[in-house]
Amino acid sequence: MKEIIAVVRMNKTNATKKALVDVGAAGFTAEKVMGRGKLVEKKETIAARRANLIELAKAEDDKEAEALIDGFLDGTRLFPRRMFTIYAHDEDVQRIVDAIIQVNQTENNVGDGKIFVLPTMDVVRVRTGESGEYAI
Amino acid sequence: MLLIRAIVRPEKKDEVLYELSTAGFHAATVIDVVGRGKQKGIKIGGIVYDEIPKMLIMLVVRDEDKDDVISVILRTAKTSDKGAYGDGKIFVSAVEEVYTVSTAAAGL
Repeated sequence: MKEIIAVVRMNKTNATKKALVDVGAAGFTAEKVMGRGKLVEKKETIAARRANLIELAKAEDDKEAEALIDGFLDGTRLFPRRMFTIYAHDEDVQRIVDAIIQVNQTENNVGDGKIFVLPTMDVVRVRTGESGEYAI
Repeated sequence: MLLIRAIVRPEKKDEVLYELSTAGFHAATVIDVVGRGKQKGIKIGGIVYDEIPKMLIMLVVRDEDKDDVISVILRTAKTSDKGAYGDGKIFVSAVEEVYTVSTAAAGL
């Protein structure tokens, strides 16, 4: 048994849910979390995002908008994300991970999330009291 | 790799995250949680509060960085030199695989 923790973009929640059902892992827990990732080393990825955001802002006070956007991209801010926790049989883990990666990739190159796979000792179904592989 | 889950006081969150970042552990996930500890909550004027708000900080690090991360959290999340009830707990669990969605690459 494995526990899969996937942190994904908020607007990909529905796509991720659908992908999980398609791959046969219909049971999961989703939680709203805040997070940040590694500091981005490639300056080009950030530069593209910055140009995009300044284009979107179109504020009258450009200085103010730029200061806001720089604060937004300096990496110290926490961004909202959705955290999925899925329990799966060992043999299904790779399929689930691949499905999550496939629906969550965007063209932004950064910020699409992380997936962690942890070992699990036991699972118990509260309704029947059965445990182990049957309870997943 | 190891998953470190630290439950800290909400007012200490920013300080802990800043110090972790300074120590080189920038990536983290933060969750609002409520809970109680061994002291069964706190009793104020006859009323027992056993759902005390805390912050859960999650980060996944390489095995050799575990002690660094824990010492940073222990140092910053403590409320005084002695520490006080309610300063929090740290849990460490094993992580077998890590994937980055953007690149589909395995590893931190």
